[in-house]
Amino acid sequence: MLDFLGTIGGNVLGLPGILGLALGMMTRRLWLGAVMGGLVGVLETLLFAGWQFAHVGTLELMIAIAVGVCAGTLGSVIRLKGATA
Amino acid sequence: MADSPEKRGWIRRIWNWFWTPAVAFSSGFLIIAGFLAGILFWGGFHWTLELTNTEEFCVSCHTMETNLGEYRETIHYNNHSGVRAICSDCHVPHEWNHKIKAKIMAVKDVYHELAGTISTPEKYEEHRLSMASSVWKKMKASDSRECRNCHNFDYMDFTTQETRAASEHQRAIDNDMTCIDCHQGIAHSLPPDYLEEYQNVTEALNSDSPEAQQQQAAADRDEIRSFLATRTD
Repeated sequence: MLDFLGTIGGNVLGLPGILGLALGMMTRRLWLGAVMGGLVGVLETLLFAGWQFAHVGTLELMIAIAVGVCAGTLGSVIRLKGATA
Repeated sequence: MADSPEKRGWIRRIWNWFWTPAVAFSSGFLIIAGFLAGILFWGGFHWTLELTNTEEFCVSCHTMETNLGEYRETIHYNNHSGVRAICSDCHVPHEWNHKIKAKIMAVKDVYHELAGTISTPEKYEEHRLSMASSVWKKMKASDSRECRNCHNFDYMDFTTQETRAASEHQRAIDNDMTCIDCHQGIAHSLPPDYLEEYQNVTEALNSDSPEAQQQQAAADRDEIRSFLATRTD
């Protein structure tokens, strides 16, 4: 459980959370924000696995993608809510 | 009017202020201010995180006294070269993602300090094996990542090592072993039956590996085929 929460926290404060949010804020399309966030999650997991698919943990990958998707979507929502033009 | 600004609650007013376009500031001003605020926030966050990496912080809890005493007897604390590895060098990863995960998981240490789980020498000894086992599991799973921040087979000069050490390190390279496979008691005293527990850790991790899962899947497939063949007969 602690391992699971730690992985989520690491991703929220890592690339999927921060870059995902930033990329999401660049578009008003929720799906595009989610896709960009998810992609950051995949890339981040691969980056920390030394670009070797064999070293990628399934759970870590899933969590990174989920956090990225949520952050990207949230970024797009912020864009919709916070930008007038 | 119920919707007049004066009648709204302070949370509602702050919410509206937050999402109202800032007509008083230019975009350039907001970008520069946001950039500076970001640097200050990130610098402060990172600085605070680094403070939790100091030895003083780690051993400020009563429950860390036993392992501190043991660590002070080891070569990682005092040695001829004057290079010291403190708690965080071995227990906190350098990579951001892994570091944050380790910091979040360290919340359990605060809980156990408050709960007094290892507050007496007797309780400490009772939990020593399980604590050591969880650290070994992490190190084995990460290929001793934190050890390798300082130690690297590629940089080792076997000709200047003791014959036994050189021979064992060569064996480790040949057999794809990792540091913790041999150096379990490098910084803290070993619990009784540690070899048996380490064997369990290794077996548990091996059974989780993709190769082991493939083997298991193949075995399951063969079992199903054999079952179906029996039923058909």
